[in-house]
Amino acid sequence: MKKESWLNKIWGYLPGRYTPDRAEWPEWYTSYADASAADRPPGKSLLSSARILVIDAETTGLDYRKDRLISLGGLRLSGSTIYVADHFEAYLPTPTELSAESAVSIHGIVPNSSRYVYDTEAELLRRLLLFLGPQGIIVGHHIGFDVAMINMALGRQGAGPLLNKVVDTGGLAERLQPAGYWTPPEKFSLDNLARRYRIPLSDRHTALGDAYITAVLWLKLTARLSDKLGRELTVEDVAG
Amino acid sequence: MPNQVTRRIFDFLKDIPPFTFVDSEEALMKIAERAEVEYLPPGTVIFRPGDPPLDRFYIVKEGAIDLLRLVGTEEQLVERCGEGESFGLRPLLAEDNHLFLARSAEESLVYAINTEGFKNLLNNFPALTQYLAVSMAGSNRYTMAPPAPTTSTTAEVPLVTSLLESQRLERSRLPITCQTTARIIDAAKLMTEHNVGSIVVVDPAGHPVGIITDRDFRQKVATGVRSPKDKVGTIMGKPVVCISRDKTAADVQIMMVRKKVNHLVQTEDGTDKSRITGVVSKHDLLVIQGNNPAVLIREIGRAKSAGYLRTLRERAEKMLATYLGQEISISFITTVMTQLNDEIIRTCMKLSLARMQAEGKGNPPAPFDWLALGSQGRGEQLLRTDQDNALIFEDVAPARYNAVKDYFLQLAGYVTEFLHQVGFKYCPADMMASNPKWCMPVSQWKQQFSHWMAENTAENLLNISIFFDFRGVWGDGSLPAKLTKHIFQELEGGRDRFLASLAQSALDNPSPLTFFRNFVVERSGENKDQFDLKRRVMRPLTDAARVLTLKAQIGSVNNTFRRYEALAKLEPQNAELYREAAQAYELLIRLRATIGLQRNDSGRYLKPKELSSTQRLLLRNSFTPVKEIQSLLELRFQLTFLR
Repeated sequence: MKKESWLNKIWGYLPGRYTPDRAEWPEWYTSYADASAADRPPGKSLLSSARILVIDAETTGLDYRKDRLISLGGLRLSGSTIYVADHFEAYLPTPTELSAESAVSIHGIVPNSSRYVYDTEAELLRRLLLFLGPQGIIVGHHIGFDVAMINMALGRQGAGPLLNKVVDTGGLAERLQPAGYWTPPEKFSLDNLARRYRIPLSDRHTALGDAYITAVLWLKLTARLSDKLGRELTVEDVAG
Repeated sequence: MPNQVTRRIFDFLKDIPPFTFVDSEEALMKIAERAEVEYLPPGTVIFRPGDPPLDRFYIVKEGAIDLLRLVGTEEQLVERCGEGESFGLRPLLAEDNHLFLARSAEESLVYAINTEGFKNLLNNFPALTQYLAVSMAGSNRYTMAPPAPTTSTTAEVPLVTSLLESQRLERSRLPITCQTTARIIDAAKLMTEHNVGSIVVVDPAGHPVGIITDRDFRQKVATGVRSPKDKVGTIMGKPVVCISRDKTAADVQIMMVRKKVNHLVQTEDGTDKSRITGVVSKHDLLVIQGNNPAVLIREIGRAKSAGYLRTLRERAEKMLATYLGQEISISFITTVMTQLNDEIIRTCMKLSLARMQAEGKGNPPAPFDWLALGSQGRGEQLLRTDQDNALIFEDVAPARYNAVKDYFLQLAGYVTEFLHQVGFKYCPADMMASNPKWCMPVSQWKQQFSHWMAENTAENLLNISIFFDFRGVWGDGSLPAKLTKHIFQELEGGRDRFLASLAQSALDNPSPLTFFRNFVVERSGENKDQFDLKRRVMRPLTDAARVLTLKAQIGSVNNTFRRYEALAKLEPQNAELYREAAQAYELLIRLRATIGLQRNDSGRYLKPKELSSTQRLLLRNSFTPVKEIQSLLELRFQLTFLR
C-alpha cells in the first residue's frame, strides 16, 4: 500500500533515528538484504503464487519510539491456503521499566511469565527475517505500526529496516469500501472488519490469534477485490 | 505448548466425527498440527470426478460444499456438506478416484487434513475404523441408527412390555394348597379364608398336580356341572404350568401368554416333579410392573381428578423414557402412548359429563363424538403438546339448535379445562372444541370441509392439515365416519385443484437441504437460531402422506406410518422411498420425544448444538427422503406449472 511505502521512506529521515551503515550490519541482516536486492518479486506475477506472511505484533504500548515488542506471530499463506504448521511465534522479555503498563490487560501476556520461551531481540529478528525471506510479502492489519516497531528493533541491533513489500488489510478493506468523510475511523478496525466478514474473534490479542484472523480477512478481501476487478490478482494490485 | 491456531483446530475437530473416535488428545493434536486452512470463494472446484485421490481430505469449518454427481452435462446434488462435516475421504480409503464434483456453494473455510497422518490413526483406533467402514459402506443411510427393533404387532404387545421388567420374582405369594383327596367345598373354604383367587392341588409329596381358580368355581360349580361335594380333581386344571424360582417377571409373562394361563406355579426345579414353592398370578405381575401400560390405562380410567391424571401422565412419561432408552419400535411406542392419551381424554370427558350432571344440565341432548385432531388424531403424539380437538354432534331441529350447541360448548369447555390441568396446554390458535367454530353439527362440518376443499387459501390449507386427521375418541362413534364419507364424495367430484394445492402446501417448507449449513434455523422470534423440527421436516412428511393417500382414495388410514405403508403396497415402484420416508418419520418422532423429555417441553425446537453428532447425522439423513418425497409430489401433481 502507498501509505506503507511512504511510511517506510519517512522512517529514515525521522529525527533521532539512527540508520546503521552496511559495515555495521549483523551477518544475518546482510544475507537478508543481499538476497532481497537480488530477488525482488516481480509486480506482474500472480498474487496466488506469492509467499504471503501474515504477521501481528503485541507490544508494551502504542508509542513506537518508547515501547517494545513483546511477542510476534506469523502465518504463511500461499494461494488460498493457510499453512498453520509453518508458523512463526516468538516472545521477548518485557523491559523492567515498561512492565507495569496497562497493555497487559489487552493482550493478556503477563510480563516475563514462565509460560513462554523467550528469545533475545537479536535472535527473534534473525528468525523473523528467515521466516519472511526476501521474497515474502508482509500482510498485517494496520501493519505500518508493526513494521515500525520491528524496524526500531532492527535499528537497535545495528541492522537496516525490513525490505519486503508490505500490505495493510485495513487499507485493502478501505479500498473495497471507501470511507466517506462521515466514516468513523474504527470502522476499519480488526474487530469491526472481522465482524463484517464474519470471522470468529477467538484468540483475539494474542499475536498468532490476531495473525490468523487477519489471514482469513486477507483471503476474503483479496477474493472480493479479484471479483471486483474481474481477473486474477497480481502482486502489484495489492502491493504497489 | 501447541499454538492457539492449532489449538482451535483441535477443539473443532474433537467434537465431530470421525475425530470423536480418536480418544487420544496427543494423537488428535498431531492431526491438528498438520492441518491446513483453505479458503474457498463461492464456486471453487475442489475435485472433479476421475481425479486421483489427493493427499488430503476436508472438514468444513464454515460455509457449505456441494458434492455433485455428473450425469452427462447435468449436475445432481448428492449431498451438501455443512459445518463440521467431512468430504473427500472415501477415495483415500478406497484408493479409488473421486466420483463426485466438489464445489463450494458459498464462501467457505475448510480444514485440509493430511491423509498420511490420518491413516496412521486407523491402526490405533478400532472405533474410528469401524465408523469409517460403516459410513463408507453408504448402502444404508440409517446405518448409524441403533439396531431397529422388529416391528411389533398387536399380539406382541404384552411381550414387548414385559421385557422391560427384568426384576426377579424372588418373593412370590406363599401357596395355598390342598390334597387331591379334598372336596371342592373344602378348597373353596380355604380360598375364602386366605382371600386368594387360586389354590394348588398337590400330591402327598408336595408336587403340584393341578390348580383351581375362581373361574373354575364360576364355570363348573355355580353352573351345576359339578357338586361342591365332588373331589377337587374333577374341576382342577392340569397339568399346571411350572417355572423355577430364578425366572424374571418377563419370563413369567411370556410363559403366561404362550400357555394361555393366568397362574403359574413355582417349584424347586421348575417342573411338576418337585415341591411347590409359590404361585404367581397375572394380577401379581401387574402390581410388580407399576409402569405397565395396561395398569396405567386402568388407573387412568378410574381416576377421579385431573390432579391424579396428571400424576399418571407423568408416570407414563417415565415409561416413555424407558421405552426410548430401550430402542423399542416407535410404532409400538406410539400405539401405547396414543391409547394412554385417548384414555385420558375419555376420563376427562367422563369427569366433565359428571360435572354437567351435578350442575343440573342433564345428559347430552344429542349423539356426539369428540374428535382428536393433528398428531393425536394421527396417533403419533408422544409428549403433551397443545390440545387440538373438535366436537361433532348429530343434526337437531332448528328450534333446539341453540340449546344443544350451548350444552356441548359448555361440556367442551370443561373437557379442555381438565385436559389443560393434566398438562395438555390450551391451543394458542384456539383449535379446540370449546371454540364455537369447532363445535358443530354434522351438516355444518360437511359444509366446512367442502368449503376448505373448494377455497384453497393458505389458511384453509393449514386448517386441512390439522382437521383432516380427525379421529373419534369418545362418543356415539358413528359421526366421524359420516364426515370421512363426505370428504371422499367431494373428492370424486373432481378436486384435482384441491389436491394440487394441498400438495403445494406440503412443499411450502422447502427441504432443509437446500439451505445454508446443516440446518435452517429460525431467523427471528423467541425461537431464533433454533431448528424447527416440526415445521421443517415432520410436517412436510405428514402433509405428503396425507395428500398422497387422499389422491389414492385410501380412507380411514390417518397415521403417517400406516399411510406410507399403504402407499408402499399400492405403488411398488415407489415402495422404497415410502419406506424410507416412514423410517425417517419414526426417527424424527423418536428424536423429538427424546429431546422433549430431556428438556421437559414439546421438543419442537432444537438448538443444533445440543444434539450429539450422531443425532445430527441422523437428522440430516432424514432430510433426503423429505426432499425426495417433495420431488415426487411435484411430479405427481405437476406442481412445477403452478410455481
